[in-house]
Amino acid sequence: MRARTLPQSQLRSSRGTATTRRKAVVLTAVVSLGMGLLAGCADDGGDESGSSSGGGEGKTVITLGLFGTQGFKEAGLYAEYEKLNPDIKIQENVVERNENYYPALVNHLTTNSGLQDIQAVEVGNIAEVVETQASKLMDLSKVEGVKASGWLDWKWKQATTKDGQTVGLGTDVGPMAICYRKDLFEKAGLPTDREEVGKLWAGSWDKLVEVGEDYKAKAPKDTTFLDSPGGLINAILSGESEKFYDASGKVIYKTNPAVKNAFDLTAKAAKDGLTGNQTQFQPAWDTTIANSKFAAISCPPWMLGYIKGKSQPDAAGKWDVAAAPKPGNWGGTFLAVPKSGKNSEEAAKLAAWLTAPEQQAKLFAKQGSFPSAPAAYDLPQVTDAKNDMTGDSPIGTIFAEAAKEIPAQVIGPKDQIVQQGLTDNGVILVTQGKSPAEAWKNAVKTIDNNLEK
Amino acid sequence: MATRHDTAAPPVKGGAAPGRPPVDAAAAEAAKKRARLSRRWQRDIRWSPYAFVSPFFLLFLAFGLFPLIYTGWASLHTVELTAPTDMEWVGLRNYTRIFDDEFFWNAARNTLTIGIISTVPQLLMAMGLAHILNYKLRGSTFYRVVMLAPYATSIAAASLVFVLLFGRDYGMINWALDLVGIDAIDWQNDKWYSQIAVSSIIIWRWTGYNALIYLAAMQAIPQDLYESAALDGASRWQQFIHVTLPSLRPTILFTVVVSTIGASQVFGEPLLFDANKGASGGSQHQFQTLGLYLYEQGWVNQHLGRASAIAWAMFLILIVIGIVNSVISRRLRASS
Amino acid sequence: MTTTLTKPPADAVPPPPPKRTRISKAARAGGQLHAGPVAYVILALFTIGSLFPLVWTAIAASRDNQRLAQNPPPFWFGANLFDKLEVAWTDANLGEAFLNTTIVAGISALTIVFLSTIAGFAFAKLRFKGRGALMLIVVGTMMVPPQLSIIPLYMMVAKLDWTDQLQAVILPSLVSAFGVFFMRQYLLQALPDEIIEAARVDGASSWRVVWHVVFPAARPAMAVLGMLMFVQTWNDFLWPFLVLTQNGSPTVQVAVAGLGRGYTPDQSLIMAGALLGTLPLLVVFAIFGKQIVGGIMQGAVKG
Repeated sequence: MRARTLPQSQLRSSRGTATTRRKAVVLTAVVSLGMGLLAGCADDGGDESGSSSGGGEGKTVITLGLFGTQGFKEAGLYAEYEKLNPDIKIQENVVERNENYYPALVNHLTTNSGLQDIQAVEVGNIAEVVETQASKLMDLSKVEGVKASGWLDWKWKQATTKDGQTVGLGTDVGPMAICYRKDLFEKAGLPTDREEVGKLWAGSWDKLVEVGEDYKAKAPKDTTFLDSPGGLINAILSGESEKFYDASGKVIYKTNPAVKNAFDLTAKAAKDGLTGNQTQFQPAWDTTIANSKFAAISCPPWMLGYIKGKSQPDAAGKWDVAAAPKPGNWGGTFLAVPKSGKNSEEAAKLAAWLTAPEQQAKLFAKQGSFPSAPAAYDLPQVTDAKNDMTGDSPIGTIFAEAAKEIPAQVIGPKDQIVQQGLTDNGVILVTQGKSPAEAWKNAVKTIDNNLEK
Repeated sequence: MATRHDTAAPPVKGGAAPGRPPVDAAAAEAAKKRARLSRRWQRDIRWSPYAFVSPFFLLFLAFGLFPLIYTGWASLHTVELTAPTDMEWVGLRNYTRIFDDEFFWNAARNTLTIGIISTVPQLLMAMGLAHILNYKLRGSTFYRVVMLAPYATSIAAASLVFVLLFGRDYGMINWALDLVGIDAIDWQNDKWYSQIAVSSIIIWRWTGYNALIYLAAMQAIPQDLYESAALDGASRWQQFIHVTLPSLRPTILFTVVVSTIGASQVFGEPLLFDANKGASGGSQHQFQTLGLYLYEQGWVNQHLGRASAIAWAMFLILIVIGIVNSVISRRLRASS
Repeated sequence: MTTTLTKPPADAVPPPPPKRTRISKAARAGGQLHAGPVAYVILALFTIGSLFPLVWTAIAASRDNQRLAQNPPPFWFGANLFDKLEVAWTDANLGEAFLNTTIVAGISALTIVFLSTIAGFAFAKLRFKGRGALMLIVVGTMMVPPQLSIIPLYMMVAKLDWTDQLQAVILPSLVSAFGVFFMRQYLLQALPDEIIEAARVDGASSWRVVWHVVFPAARPAMAVLGMLMFVQTWNDFLWPFLVLTQNGSPTVQVAVAGLGRGYTPDQSLIMAGALLGTLPLLVVFAIFGKQIVGGIMQGAVKG
């Protein structure tokens, strides 16, 4: 598990292959340069693992169980902590997909075995962990230096039980904006300045869909306004204070008008051909990024990183970021510390350090994971942040604005199942020729069956 | 198969000794020795079969039985993966609800169709391949390695590639179809095409495997059978039908049973064929198999009790199929 | 030893020697006949079909996300194959994982082959009370869907405190009803009762029969079963993933599960990991192919 800077290496190689074979030499040079950088990082990694294998005997080893998107190691945070605490050695276990990671975590928690000292929990699972596994996890609010005020209020509450035990410390959040292609907007006769674009739909998702109709009227060939129906319904629902559960923990998705409205609006947009007929994060969806098939997408900061990783090099600088109709959150993670760990005290300290504003800011600069600690928003890593895709746009400040406006949302243990049903067994069907009513019926049937114990 | 070799042997040896009256002390001594040997022989005949099968059953008792019992017990409860020891008794409700569970029956239908689409061509092709590989061939080692290459590929790796190859917009298969003038096929969303695509992953991975099993069995067929058939003027095809196939009967039965059981449990391929839609097997569950449905209820939705009942229902369905199958084949055998 | 013991069937039904010489090679089917051109064409198609997805995995591993999104898809290798393989190798710490997996798959395969052969022999050729019922149980255990058993099995392993130890993967994998069933069906066909009888007449104990008659006769099937089990254990994911960690003693599939992570999964890196997970098996087949196939051929020549 050597450190490496994935996005950069990818970008480098992508620039290479877009050129002709004649430039293969250049490509090789660029790639080997990239590898050189990787090797440099690997050397850093080598130091730490070298010291561990050599003199690691007396050290306390803290292990982290993570999925996909964290990147603590890639941002050099372990090395830094180990330098600050020479007696500590940090190891991580990373699984790419949360679908693999989470069921195993639940199994490990219920049996109290096979757990790492620190375990990451995705926001989609945090409510369930809070509800069912709190007894297995440490109360992190008691750790030295940890204060509730250090985090966005809603982020803190999401990982806190009713009787005040905080089972997880927030790492990143995903405040959402709308990322759009300036070139495509211009061709379709829409404004391109982010302030003006934001005004087009400020305050209402219906307006955004109306802008979509305008776009469609003069759309460049083979492009859609939005990337996918799933992206739209997710964005709308993310800004609601109540979506699938009410505050008492009752499932209300079927009767909550906010959910039905979001579904209907998305279905309408899909029916009118304003969204691509894609499911997000499928290889096929990736290709629509690479081939510039859509003009706008609801996007948290990490989405910009994703776009960067999947785009052709010539798309750099063609994007910009405007405020979403309503602010919402998409994604984010918590670090939890199982009580049964051998080094739970040390692990809790490390978790607190990794989630402190300074480290969150460093992580943002390196990985695009947006801080959940408001104090980080004034740090230069955030205020000066830029992205290749969006040129000079001050994305740090744009997303920080959005983050502060995000409403506290009631999240339930099975949010993911409900949302998956509405998206993958629901609105996507409209793009395949089903009526919105049929799609809703199919979604509800699936969800109800999946929720029933 | 009915030769009583095991019981036939001892009487020859043991039976001979008491038959002859002892002439002198030496002979009596020899007879005693033989009797002792014979007793040991009897013990050996009687108990060694159990000794031979016991390791399997001991391992099964250690690692197979508890999961089975637990699952059976869990199927009578409402129990969630988040607290697998926290059970609430519901009797047979998890079973009775299966009757109105349209997702279960949809999955059962899909399992059947995917099972047929994948198993039948797979076994026929495997038989043909084994037959060809049974000839003297240049580079036969090469083909045997090639044959196993797909099986050596993990389901995850195989599905990953096939998803890309079957891509609607940029997949190689649609690209090739386009060359011959066929419009792009939506391999993931169309019911039959998605089932064909999922089946093709299964066929790809398992054909060589079955061919290898057939091949191993074909090579155990005594050459003499072919020679006498050839002397009777049987053509190659007739030799295949009248010598090869009958000799392979136990092996064919084996592959059919194993493939049927395997087909009933298929879940990795459909799971990964549209991994971004979770375990629902497509947006309209168009390629959700029973194995995948079980996985969805148990691992994704975390309903351990329901999933256990589904597992046991699958088990019972298989047993029913097995009984029906043996009754039919017995009838067929009786009539022929 | 093999020769003397596998000969009897041929002797048991001895074809008159003159016949054997009279039959021309062409008249015989089976192992001795040469394949015609049609056979080679079919094999060529089959080879392409079998290898293409693998070759394309390598092509995809050598390309980046952007190139994979273009039409027509890439047909030839890009420049980064070895870089990606190298990153995947170091990133997933595959050296250690290969060692672990070899241990796990090797022990499992050898044990399963041995236990299955003796049990399969008993079920195929020996008579004992409860044989039918016990065989039904064996086949029955195959029908239990494995995805579900692993939850209670994990509870067991957790109680035994075996997490992150290789025996947690090895021991449960030894319950192979498949192997027993496979060997039974093979021996039913391939082991003539006459040889066993002949050995019995010579006064051989059951164990001697197994050692000197059954094992030689079962060799081809044992080779096949061993290979199949090795591959299966090598590729197993769900269970090893639950009990092993990447820092402890991961198997290959556990080790590569973390590849390509990040908000932008690196498709080609994932492909490179998939390729690396499969490659050793292919290399082993290629190197030992002769021996394995030799084992099968022996059965043919002598059977």
